[in-house]
Amino acid sequence: MIKTVDLKKTFVGRGQTVYAVDGVTSHIKPAEVVVIIGPSGSGKSTYLRCLNGLETFTSGHIMIDGVDLANKKTDLNLVRREVGMVFQQFNLFPHKTVLENIILAQQVVRKRKRDEAEKKARQLLKKVGIAEKENEYPIRLSGGQQQRVAIARALAMDPKIMLFDEPTSALDPEMVGEVLEVMKQLAREGMTMVVVTHEMGFAREVADRVLFMDQGKLVEEGTPEHFFTAPREERAKAFLKQVL
Amino acid sequence: MKSRKQIWLWHLLTVFILLLLGAGLWVATKKIDYTWRWNRVPQYFAYVDETLVPAPFDARVASLQRSGGSTAVKLTGENGEEKTFEVDNDSLKVSENEELFQGDYLGSVSSWRLGPLSVGLWNTLWISAVSSVIGLIIGLITGLCRVSNNPTLRNLSVAYIELIRGTPLLVQLFIFYFFLGTVLDISRILAGISALAIFAGAYVAEIIRAGIQSIPKGQMEAARSLGMSVPQAMTHIILPQAFKRTLPPLAGQFISLIKDSSLVSVIAITDLTKSGREVITSTFATFEIWFVVAFLYLLLTSVLSQVISWVERRLAISD
Ligand SMILES: Nc1ncnc2c1ncn2[C@@H]1O[C@H](COP(=O)(O)OP(=O)(O)O)[C@@H](O)[C@H]1O
Ligand SMILES: [Mg+2]
Repeated sequence: MIKTVDLKKTFVGRGQTVYAVDGVTSHIKPAEVVVIIGPSGSGKSTYLRCLNGLETFTSGHIMIDGVDLANKKTDLNLVRREVGMVFQQFNLFPHKTVLENIILAQQVVRKRKRDEAEKKARQLLKKVGIAEKENEYPIRLSGGQQQRVAIARALAMDPKIMLFDEPTSALDPEMVGEVLEVMKQLAREGMTMVVVTHEMGFAREVADRVLFMDQGKLVEEGTPEHFFTAPREERAKAFLKQVL
Repeated sequence: MKSRKQIWLWHLLTVFILLLLGAGLWVATKKIDYTWRWNRVPQYFAYVDETLVPAPFDARVASLQRSGGSTAVKLTGENGEEKTFEVDNDSLKVSENEELFQGDYLGSVSSWRLGPLSVGLWNTLWISAVSSVIGLIIGLITGLCRVSNNPTLRNLSVAYIELIRGTPLLVQLFIFYFFLGTVLDISRILAGISALAIFAGAYVAEIIRAGIQSIPKGQMEAARSLGMSVPQAMTHIILPQAFKRTLPPLAGQFISLIKDSSLVSVIAITDLTKSGREVITSTFATFEIWFVVAFLYLLLTSVLSQVISWVERRLAISD
């Protein structure tokens, strides 16, 4: 479903070059849940952002459903509507109500009729458990509720893949659970998911595979069982010691 | 209760100081022996215009027919031609069967006319409104160019903004009128409006740019991650939010524009300021007219700022 081949992304600024993603090769299969972990600054976000074309990459290839993002003729807008993304900071549209947040892209991008989009939005709000908040503005919701709306907003586009960039890192501890619950349900329903997170419990329970990144490189990958009990690499061992 | 009473005292002090200033002005004008003639001012807003009605040919008054405030005067010429004129009752100068020569007055018709101050106020109003709208459009386009990824668009917009903001409006008006007006053969009013619009556009562009850049990057990323194109994200997500934030500085800009529009009087456009000057040459009520002109500008600007603050309150529901 997602194939990356020797993906490299460098940032050049103030006379120095940062190798944010440095030769990552991986293959994510349909319905697979992949969790990416690694220390801060290891290039996890950059990798994720390359996957839906929010960031251009320096070299290598990304194939999504057989479409090559490196190909100049590829329309990234067409790719992005198939790849949903959930951000650490929620990024809801503050000038629109919860319902409008979910409807807007359906109408503008998918060209759905208003009532069709509304029906879909209500259905998804029910699914993430905040049906009663549809007419609120985002600012009046708690962090956990906002993130669930953000998930519903991404799902409304009927994406084939969902990317999560530390979806619970900006939340108060008591709200982490409600968001992870929605993600677990998605995973059970067979959504293809790539999740950057520091929630090791989630990785253990839900992930089919764990990728460990450090300094832009894919250092180790394997099943959660393998990774949490018997990592091979020193860097992975050191990291796990810190977070567990 | 006590603090409320004290606030009330402070307000009283304000009024007292203002009265004191007024009294000072009054004493000062007394000293220079100025005679205030406020009663002359109203006629420059509106006045009754009397038009005399002459007989178009040698004729006899065939009949007079009163109806309401006016009289219909029916004339019969020597060759039998007939014609009827309406004149005001109290101005009627002829009686039935009277013989008239061509050019004799039958009476007069009076009607209300707008005086120069009203005309000037109206001109200032519409010139400012039209230049504001055009300036907003120019500013929006330039602001978008300013934040675009295309270096040429960026360079051009920066050049325009710097050029306009670095030179005085008065000089720009002269260039528009004397240079562009001659080269492109445009009327003075068009030259004036273009100069004001292009002047305002440069400032609006900077306001729009700041507004767009004040929206967190995550908004654009969220919109794009949903598959929206950049123009779609701009129109649905970024600009509506930026508009809300830029409303106060934009309002300030348009209020400035109303005031700056007084400069078009130098290229002989009859705006409020020029009308004021014209009225003064015929009345010598210099002080009164300038005070009135100032008050009228104040009226325009405060109405605009009321409207804007109403819009702001409407937009505040999502805060
Ligand atoms: N827009 C950018 N410009 C310059 N450097 C960046 C940019 N984005 C990320 N980086 C750098 O790339 C590296 C990887 O960042 P990131 O992908 O955000 O890491 P992570 O998400 O794992 O914490 C960091 O060293 C960061 O400073
Ligand atoms: Mg990150």
